[in-house]
This record gives sequence, C-alpha cells and structure tokens, in this order.
Amino acid sequence: MTALTSHLKLLEAESIHIFREAAAQFRAPVLMYSIGKDSTVLLHLARKAFWPAKLPFPLLHVDTTWKFRDMIAFRDRTVREFGLDLIVHTNHDGLARNINPFDHPPSVYTDVMKTVALRQALDAGGFDAAFGGARRDEEASRAKERVFSFRAAGHRWEPRRQRPEMWQLLNGRLGKGETVRVFPLSNWTEGDVWRYIALEKLDVVPLYFAAERPVVVRNGQLIVVDDERMRFEPGEKPVLRQVRFRTLGCWPLTAAIESDAVDIESVVEETLAARVSERAGRLIDHDMAGAMEMKKREGYF
Amino acid sequence: MHVAALREEVEAKAAAARATYGGALLRLLTCGSVDDGKSTLIGRLLWDAAGVSEDQRAAVALASHNRAVNGEKIDFSLLLDGLQAEREQGITIDIAWRYFETRARRFIIIDSPGHEQYTRNMATGASHADLAILLVDARHGAKRQTRRHAAICDLVGIKKVVLAVNKMDEVGWSEARYREIEADFRGMAGSFNFAQVTIVPVAALTGDNVVSRSTEMSWYAGPTLLDYLEAVDPEAVQTDTPFRMPVQLVLRAAGDFRGYAGTVTSGRIKTGERIVDARSGLGATLRRISTMDGDRSFAAKGDAVTLVLDTDLDISRGAVLSEVPRRPTNADVIETRLVWLSETPFDPEVGYLLRTATDLTPVTSISVSALVDFETLAATPAHACSMNDIADCRILLGRPAAIDLFRDLPLTGNFVLVSAIDGATVAGGVITWAQAGAPQVGDNVLVLNRELLARGVCADLGESPADLAEFHRRAQEVAALLRSVGVPVLIEI
Repeated sequence: MTALTSHLKLLEAESIHIFREAAAQFRAPVLMYSIGKDSTVLLHLARKAFWPAKLPFPLLHVDTTWKFRDMIAFRDRTVREFGLDLIVHTNHDGLARNINPFDHPPSVYTDVMKTVALRQALDAGGFDAAFGGARRDEEASRAKERVFSFRAAGHRWEPRRQRPEMWQLLNGRLGKGETVRVFPLSNWTEGDVWRYIALEKLDVVPLYFAAERPVVVRNGQLIVVDDERMRFEPGEKPVLRQVRFRTLGCWPLTAAIESDAVDIESVVEETLAARVSERAGRLIDHDMAGAMEMKKREGYF
Repeated sequence: MHVAALREEVEAKAAAARATYGGALLRLLTCGSVDDGKSTLIGRLLWDAAGVSEDQRAAVALASHNRAVNGEKIDFSLLLDGLQAEREQGITIDIAWRYFETRARRFIIIDSPGHEQYTRNMATGASHADLAILLVDARHGAKRQTRRHAAICDLVGIKKVVLAVNKMDEVGWSEARYREIEADFRGMAGSFNFAQVTIVPVAALTGDNVVSRSTEMSWYAGPTLLDYLEAVDPEAVQTDTPFRMPVQLVLRAAGDFRGYAGTVTSGRIKTGERIVDARSGLGATLRRISTMDGDRSFAAKGDAVTLVLDTDLDISRGAVLSEVPRRPTNADVIETRLVWLSETPFDPEVGYLLRTATDLTPVTSISVSALVDFETLAATPAHACSMNDIADCRILLGRPAAIDLFRDLPLTGNFVLVSAIDGATVAGGVITWAQAGAPQVGDNVLVLNRELLARGVCADLGESPADLAEFHRRAQEVAALLRSVGVPVLIEI
C-alpha cells in the first residue's frame, strides 16, 4: 500500500483510467518517453494501468543526439529493469545536414530534430495514438488541450476545432487520416509530479538533484557543458557550480538553476516554493511569442 | 538552508488552514456571455490570490503594455487566452485550465468562451466542474447566452452556481441595479435543479469583492468571491449508492490471470461479495481486487482497479459490473436531454452511436420531442435540433445497454452521441428515463424464455458457466434478429 494523499490518489486513478481508455480504443498506441520526471511518472502509471499484464504498447524516444549522457544511461537502465520494448528514433536526414543547436536557431533545430523526427517515427510505426507527458499547467497553449488531442492528417493540431470532451467519456473514434495524442497527466501540476515521485519512491535522472557541474553563463542562463561538442565563446570557461535542472531536454538548450536541493525532499520543497514557472529554463519556448503553439500545430506533442 | 526552512513553516501553516477548511479540490467553471469579463475575472483571481509566477507576471505586464487595451493597466485576460488567435482577436475560443492553491484549498479553474459559436467548448468545460461562476455585465444583466450557459450547467449536473455581477464600477456601484439583476436571476434559476445559488457584486478590473472586500459597496454584506470559493463544499456526497464498475478492458497475464479493469463509478465492493453483469444477467463472486501495489479487500468510487472473479463471465469492454440487488436497466429505449455540439445539425438519416461509460451501442433511431427556449427556458415541441440547442430526445438502441438515470448515478447515466461516419462527438447528454425491452408483456410480444430456447437453439448447452454465457449470447442474437424484422421481443431467462 502506498501512502498517497487523497489528491494524488485521485490524479493517479484518473490517469490510469485514461491509459485504459486509450489502450482499449486505439489500434496501435505508443508511449512517447522523453526520460524526464513527467515521463517517469507516465511510465509508472502505465505499468499500474495494465498490471499484471505487460505494457500493451512500446515506448518511443526521439533522440536528437544532444540529450544529456545521464539521460541516455537512465533510459537504458529503465528499459532493462522493467523489460520494456523501446524504439529509439533519430532524424538521420537532419543529422546528415548537421542540424545542431549551436549553428541553427532553436526553432529550426527543434522543428527538424524533434517535431519532424517525431512525425517520422509515428508514421514509420503506423501508430494511431501517442501518449505524452504534457501537463496543462506547463504553458498557455497546453492549458487549452484535451486529454484525447486529435491531429489531422500530417499530425497538425487545429486548436480552433478541438473535439468536445464531456465528463469521463473519452471518444476515440478516428476520422480519416486522424491520429491522437493522449495526455494522461493533463491535470497534474509540477508540484504533484514531484510529490508523487517522492511518495512512490521513483527513480529519476540524477540531473534533477543539485551537484557541482561545469557551467557557463549565457544571457543570464546557466548552461551545463555535458560533452566536448560545446562551442565556447572567446574567453568563456566552464566554472563548477552547484546546480540542478527543473526540466530536461537537449543540453545546449536547457538551463540549470542554482540549488542546494540534493535529495527528493528538498527538490519537492524547492518546487513548491518556486516563484518562477518551470519552462522559464526552456530556451526553445522563448524564441517567439506563441512558440509552443506553433510547434504543436506542426506536430510536436 | 533558510528557504527550505521558511517553506516548511509556510507549508505547515497551509496544511493547518486546509484542514480547517476541509481542503477538498474545487473544479470551478467560469461562463457567461462574451465581453462580460470572464477571463479578466479569473486573471484577477489568479493575480491577487498568488497563482501567477514571476516570469508570467513580467510577460503579461509587457504584453499588456503592447496591447494597451486598458491604458497602462494589466490585461489579466492574457493569463488565460493562450492561443494566438485568441490573443490577436481578444476573445476566448477554447477552455483554458488553470491550477492553483490558496491557503484553504486547491482549485482547478476552467475558463470557458462566451461566444455562441464556441458553446461546445463551454459544454466540455462545464461537464468537468463542481461549481460554476456565471458572469453578467451589470449594465446589461442576463442575456440569451447567459441563460443558455445556465441551462448547460444544469444539464451536465452542476448543483452550485455563483452569479458574479461584474463591472459594478460601470453602474456607479448601484445597489438598486444589483437588486434588479439578483431578482431576475433568482427567478430564472427556479427553472433549474441548482441546489445553491449565490450572488456577488464584483468589479474584476479593479478587484472589488474578488479577493479583497470592496470599499465602494458597503451595502453588500455577503462573502467576497474568493471567501465563498474557499469555503464551499464541492459536492453533496451521496451515501449508499449502488456499486457500478464499467469494464474498460480485460487483462490477461501469466498464471491464468484474467481480470476486469475499470474505475468504480459509484458505491463500493468487498471481496467475497456477489456481482452481476447487468446485460447478460450473469453473476459471480468477487475473488480479488488486484492493483500493482498489492491486493485490496475493497474498492470504492473513484478507484481504478482490476477485479478477478471466481467464474469466467464471458464479458468484455462495455459491460457494467454491478451489485445484485440494485442493477442498471438493461435498456433499449431511453429518454434523454442533450446539447447538440456539432456544426452539422441532427439528421435522422445519419447513423449515430451511443457512447455510455465504456459501451458503444448502435442507435436505431432518434426522435427530437422538444427544444429549450432560451428566452423563456421552457421546453417547446420540436422535431429538429442543431448546434447549441438543448433538446429532449427519445433514442431507440440497436441492442440493450446497461443504463442508469443521470440523477441517480451520473457516471453511468451520461452519454455522448458519436457520428458513425467520421467518429465526431456530435452531442452530449443525460439519461432521464430508461426502459428494458421496448414492448410490454402482453399483446403480440414474443417472450423468449428458457424453455423456448432450450428446445432447439440452445439444445446442445449444459449448465457450465461457459455454456450459460453462450445461452445468453444466443438469446440476445435471436432477439436482435427478430427485432430487426419488426417482431417485438422480450427476453425472460
């Protein structure tokens, strides 16, 4: 028996309900696994939803080749531990064109290595539904999402034409060419995710905990140098600082925060006390107004 | 680590406050006609009750300055209108979900659009809410769209409504004007099943009576909006409701594991108790309640569990497991009240499917009997319905489905109508009356009883659970075939 609060129990049951509704109604679902804290909770809930049966769908990781090394190690460990079926996809065309976060603006890099890559992987696998860990509290356009978020042919999100979604009834009948993004964590907040990780004693990538890491400061953002591909500006030298991450993505585009939170309890405390929103550290979201909505329209989850 | 220490103290205080208030989650809808100031009101609530982070504050302050709709003031609606089209046009298109906590409780705020063309989004939001704040502009009072929204709140089962009389600053904080709107709304609310109606005069732009008490309206002695929202009880907890668990899927695993996965929608169940599949009438004893955290001895409303039975009922997704004494109706005719959501009007020639809890049932026919008139709120005879209408309909089903009445058990008494052509959700509604086997026993009804079936169709079947399941399956099939050529049939086995 777990010692979840009544609120987390409610959220957990709702997410399990969503997983089961999707698995029952869609022909070929896949779980978009991006290794971070939300994916960790997502995967845990999926295992609960179908236990003692095996997960009735594979995991998909879109690897831009710029993820933190700790993330990839964690991913591989998780897959081994739970005996999961993992698909790793990289946009090789983008790689051949050397699309990278240093030479290209975040919008171009994200479009090619994440959005296009995701579309390629979903099409290649013939998936009609993809679970994602997006939460409505993350960002303004995500606050507008349905739990079953329908995408027209080409994975386009049409925010003006979302399907009504009443009560607990999730209608998964697809029209021609349509696919669905399914968001079981829609009603979770960042605080809920951390409290759940703490109470369920889930393992997360060590980058979420404060440690001394090599940091350079750019435009006021702390960038941790994760490998030798870092492009230093003249005179720039990494300095060891006590930092951690609130969200994880591609290392050149994900800013760290200064923190002394070295364990789960202090991370929970810090999160609940935070005065700045979570995605403030996501450099790709600041590229232009409505950046997330643009990405979603083009097929990003 | 002084930040953490400070936080601990704050958390402890918050926890103590929540304990005194009960602290239950409140899902809150804001609705009303366009331009009555919904997004501004909620933005103000978030801003003043500290639900906004520093970077969001800065971004909104900057964007407000660029837009300058209120001169130098903050445009609070920017906190909610998250779509580009919304920001460009200055309107709300789809519902926005916001999450925040105060010292007293957690809130989910569902901000819904006022424009008539986006009513389907408002209906989506309303169906997830415990309580609705209905806004009116003090200068105009309740409009047609206000009444439509109130009717939709009523339809989806909201029992508590707050009328926020907004823009009181624009009518010189006039008590007389407020009393006029109050009387009008109390009269109108009588047409609905609301259990509690509260009326608060506010000015969202200045914040009067939203979080802080207004100094302009000393004649008002009631609570501020936030005071009320922090204290209100989210739902009347129903006790002693019958057990229901709609089956979502059948889980099979190693060691002959076979369990029915679903969420309990009402009541509770213990291991060792008898349960029945309402559609086939087959019963079994509950052997295990299985979860990844270990087996449990009981499950109650809201729990997502997997039930293992002592005998193998041949049932699948769509079945409703229920307690034996108080079962759902195995209905093939239902009376409903629904809100039509699709841009394409109701067409009796088009195929529809009825989606109840986890079941999808083909619809034989739908006939509209009345529409709600949004001027008088009376039901008036009608035969057609189109987008944003609220209609009373009789629906004949292609096969019986396990159905409860919405007023008794909302989660097994609600439905959406699905287009058989493109899968779209065209309407959402509630079941107000249900009847098993359209015809009554009596004239010209063929009663399919055990003897009749055992004589031939089921002559090869014995008494084993598998055979009994097959017996019931054949009975349903025979009935369906006969009904399809117009023979009224009643199954009595």
